[in-house]
Amino acid sequence: MPNRRASRNAYYFFVQEKIPELRRRGLPVAHVADAVPYCSSDWVKPVSTPLRRPGMLVPKQNVSLPDMSSLSLKSDQALLGGIFYFLNIFSHGELPPHCEQRFLPCEIGCVKYSLQEGIMADFHSFINPGEIPRGFRFHCQAASDSSHKIPISNFQSGHDQATVLQNLYRFIHPYPGNWPPIYCKSDDRARVNWCLKHMAKASEIRQDLELLTVEDLVVGIYQQKFLKEPSKTWVRSLLDVAMWDYSSNTRCKWHEENDILFCALAVCRKIAYCISNSLATLFGIQLTEAHVPLQDYKASNSVTPKMVVLDAGRYQKLRVESPGFSHFNYSNQDQRTNTPIGDYPSGVKISGQNSSVRGRGITRLLESISNSSSNIHKFSNCETSLSPYMSQKDGYKSFSSFS
Amino acid sequence: MSGRARVRARGIARSPSATEVGRTPVSPSPASVVLSDNEASSSSEFMETSRISLNCKYGVSSGNVGSTFSERGVAISRNFMDLDICTRQKLAHVRDCKTGSSGIPVKLVTNLFSLDLPQDWQLYQYHVTYIPDLASRRLRIALLYSHSELSNKAKAFDGAILFLSQKLKEKVTVLSSETKRGETVKMTITLTSELPSSSPVCIQVFNIIFRKILKKLSMYQIGRNFYNPSEPVEIPQHKLSLWPGFAISVSQFESRLLFSADVSYKVLRNETVLEFMTALCYKTGLSCFSETCEKQLIGLTVLTRYNNKTYRIDDIDWSVRPTHTFQKRDGTEITYMDYYKQQYDITLSDLNQPMLVSLLKSKRNNNTEAQLVHLVPELCFLTGLTDQATSDFQLMKAVAEETRLGPLGRQQRLARLVDDIQRNKDARFELETWGLHFGSQMSLTGRVVPSEKILMQDHVCQPVSSADWSKDIRACKILSAQSLNMWLILCSNRMEIVTESFVNCLRKVGSAMGFNVDYPKIIKVQENPAAFLRAIQQHVHPDVQLVMCILPSNQKNYYDSIKKYLSSDCPVPSQCVLARTLNKQGMMMSVATKIAMQMTCKLGGELWALEIPLKSLMVVGIDVCKDALSKDVVVGCVASINPRITRWFSRCIVQRTVTDVADCLRVFMTGALNKWYKYNHDLPARIIVYRDGVGDGQLKTLVEYEVPQLLTSVTEASSNTSSRLSVIVVRKKCMPRFFTEMNRTVQNPPLGTVVDSEATRPEWYDFYLISQAARQGTVNPTYYNVIYDDNGLKPDHMQRLTFKLCHLYYNWPGLVSIPAPCLYAHKLTFLVAQSIHKEPNLQLANSLFYL
Repeated sequence: MPNRRASRNAYYFFVQEKIPELRRRGLPVAHVADAVPYCSSDWVKPVSTPLRRPGMLVPKQNVSLPDMSSLSLKSDQALLGGIFYFLNIFSHGELPPHCEQRFLPCEIGCVKYSLQEGIMADFHSFINPGEIPRGFRFHCQAASDSSHKIPISNFQSGHDQATVLQNLYRFIHPYPGNWPPIYCKSDDRARVNWCLKHMAKASEIRQDLELLTVEDLVVGIYQQKFLKEPSKTWVRSLLDVAMWDYSSNTRCKWHEENDILFCALAVCRKIAYCISNSLATLFGIQLTEAHVPLQDYKASNSVTPKMVVLDAGRYQKLRVESPGFSHFNYSNQDQRTNTPIGDYPSGVKISGQNSSVRGRGITRLLESISNSSSNIHKFSNCETSLSPYMSQKDGYKSFSSFS
Repeated sequence: MSGRARVRARGIARSPSATEVGRTPVSPSPASVVLSDNEASSSSEFMETSRISLNCKYGVSSGNVGSTFSERGVAISRNFMDLDICTRQKLAHVRDCKTGSSGIPVKLVTNLFSLDLPQDWQLYQYHVTYIPDLASRRLRIALLYSHSELSNKAKAFDGAILFLSQKLKEKVTVLSSETKRGETVKMTITLTSELPSSSPVCIQVFNIIFRKILKKLSMYQIGRNFYNPSEPVEIPQHKLSLWPGFAISVSQFESRLLFSADVSYKVLRNETVLEFMTALCYKTGLSCFSETCEKQLIGLTVLTRYNNKTYRIDDIDWSVRPTHTFQKRDGTEITYMDYYKQQYDITLSDLNQPMLVSLLKSKRNNNTEAQLVHLVPELCFLTGLTDQATSDFQLMKAVAEETRLGPLGRQQRLARLVDDIQRNKDARFELETWGLHFGSQMSLTGRVVPSEKILMQDHVCQPVSSADWSKDIRACKILSAQSLNMWLILCSNRMEIVTESFVNCLRKVGSAMGFNVDYPKIIKVQENPAAFLRAIQQHVHPDVQLVMCILPSNQKNYYDSIKKYLSSDCPVPSQCVLARTLNKQGMMMSVATKIAMQMTCKLGGELWALEIPLKSLMVVGIDVCKDALSKDVVVGCVASINPRITRWFSRCIVQRTVTDVADCLRVFMTGALNKWYKYNHDLPARIIVYRDGVGDGQLKTLVEYEVPQLLTSVTEASSNTSSRLSVIVVRKKCMPRFFTEMNRTVQNPPLGTVVDSEATRPEWYDFYLISQAARQGTVNPTYYNVIYDDNGLKPDHMQRLTFKLCHLYYNWPGLVSIPAPCLYAHKLTFLVAQSIHKEPNLQLANSLFYL
């Protein structure tokens, strides 16, 4: 006879968890069996906490570290040289479940990336979505307008699906042998997978790509390096940043020219930037222009003397007079650390090297120019606040320190 | 398809597959697309208003042959569902009396009319079966109604359930009739229940009766409301016409059954789609005609005059012409041209026009396939206003002049409606046969609660008008403000001089209100979003307190990219100002004052306070909306974190769920209570939650799902005495309107008017509060429903507290329509749903960064 305990499923534990609450509500529940009728409606309800996300179209593969094992990386070196492909396919919206055609692929972007080299190559193409199912033109149009804005018809740049797929395969896999792992964000996985299958059907090329999620990749790399698992929220926030949205050489030509943020290529490139900026630096890799769009942040094109309004003498008087709130005043904090007495009543200004009252504004200007590179420090700062384990001691050299 | 004649002629027995009557599955090939515009749309509309879709006597209204008769009898439409939730019973302190007494009584006229029934009035519900079974509802109705037994009785029948106001002699009555084909049909009418007038089913029947009556006044139902096409208001200079109409409902109010009516307008364009297409063709030429046509037309809503139904244009089928045929439900083929001739006696003039395609929403469940209908452009009138039109100031002004009726105009329209109902013979007959007596307009007594004093740093000011006290506080210092020492301004080259003078202005008004503003670092950037974002990334460092961006245009890209970066990636408060605003002559001072106040709040400052006698009270505002891009549910929660109710903890959570019910309230409440504990070293004694963004029919979910979440987090927070919780549902839209009578005319009631009798519901602890000033038109009262209350505050105190909270919105020096925490939560969800699309960084949670 099989062990009865084995039949305990998730629902059993769910109900068990609910029992105290039901008792509080005054319901006569002694056992799990009594509580079952009261819980079934709750069980159906989707529950969402920042860490648990139901409602994924495709069940996430239950793999902790598939990428790493498949690459059989033993050392940092192997990890650094390992090549990943980031892929994304955009669609003109998502059609309701009863439709046979769920997506209409219209743009594809893919980058070849390694931690060591950064982005090594990229692939981008527009796809001819084919005939739009009758009656869904509004739906597709609205979806497109709210995101990538690719016209749903009469768009000359769209290539036919078979050619695009062939080109993609050629890009990912020019020589016979094992296929490299392909990654996309978990939110996009269902769509990308569907589109790949759909395009393969149209072109009659059979090649089942294994599509993994970037989130798992990041977890994997982190684990490999620090033997700790980072939090999902941290991984998510690492990948979901707005700072590269307008970086040059990130979007495809068409999206750049039309100044539209949503671009399949940009999504892939931004994944690469994020991983470079937060993970590659952990390995002590010198960031290059292939890792992040450095060229945008060169000191030379930022501050020219003309751009800064010198806060010269005419405001100094006011500054001294204004009392301010000492604990919020950054420069006062500096004073505290510098002066032995340490604590001054608010409103007292001490002149000195670190006081906010400076001589001519020119000193400030010169300082601001020389500091302009360290101003970028903020990027890293944002991440330190997010990063659960990292600290500067960990050899965390971010993007900013290299520019 | 809903042709009476054809259906009558058919009289076919219900086939086993009759569950899909009229719902031919969509197939991609256009040939098999069924034109069934009437049926499906009318059924969907019936679903909206009431599940019991009954047909009227002569089959003037159309309805679909539903497959779910048995369900229909049970299913109660969403707005009636809420009435079953009797929250008041559980609240001991208001079970007997929920009215307050403080304030000055004021006599109010309402848009409610009494509806009287005889004492012993009852509704009799019968179930009717047919042998042999008939598929067509029209036929069923025609056969039943033709019987002398029923002909002079008041009745409502949907094909299976029959309601009568008089009992039939027998419990089971058997009748037989003959169809035109000569078949004999046996009808068995069985009594299923006798309902008192207060039952929800009766309320629905009353609504149906009044819908019939409005149709008799030659009004047409469009959507939920009734409009009168014969008396349009023309705005010829904009090619618009407005159909006047009413939104009506009957429901059980505090002590009696009341009929409520409110004025509504339908905006129509005096142009058919065909005319629009022709004009467009002349303008653009043939080469790119179809493309521009699709771009401009798809997504618009059209109205077909032959049945007064609205449809959305989802597609245009260029391959189908009016001369093409389609398959009718009975399998015969007919051309569109002939169909319209036969059905509506309309002759189409252009036989080469393409067809519009509309996708009908299936309201029943999501897995049934959508249905397509073909519409003839010539017969479709454009409705609503385009974006282009809404941005046309003159046009909007012309529309507003007509639609924004003042209290007097509204009162006159209502009086006319009542007059029409009472004068119309058919309408009167209908009412009489049901035993209903349509009475007079209700007036009731409200109370005006005293106006509030505004507490500033060293001043207590009694504003002249609580609608706007900006002038009263001009000379006063605000409660507290962090001085702004390190901040940036980003502007374009051509804005440099204006920006400089603006900064000077800001410093001047800042010092007057006690907000110390240092000179900023001004960075000039090119006029594109990328340049702005890049400059922010380069210049923002940890010491920067605030970033101000002078935006060259109101293009969404600028605002979105700046807010997205500065609210989540790199949390720094930001202030965006349109260049246009600064360029306004003579406005600089008031603009600077407004912006200085906003900036103070964004840095965590407090502007003003109110005398709130309850100590240790936390107020919470919750609002829910949908993300504009991903359609995720965005829940915004804002809680006060000091006893003075001037500092707030704001958090926004993005849920990947479909229903707009908050899942994350425990996470939020625990966070808010921790914050409170941190600042006050104790937990709040009382917590009052205002929940906005509740739709019809969600009350049950709120009571059973959200309130427990809040309760658990409150009880978990402390081991011994937990805080006492109250939950109040806030609704900005409600049916009743109130007017005061003054000097023989009617006016909007004064600010602070509370109504807690007559117009309220017996099963709820509810009240209306007027806390906003309407400059034009009629003021909309805000409706409050206390669904959970441990605090046991007296109704007086609850009402006064709510009114006080309407004073605390720091983005407007005056009263607002809903309590400040709700409006903060709304502002926060709006920012996230429209611009950021993800959760803002928690480092900002202590300031009103989203103002």
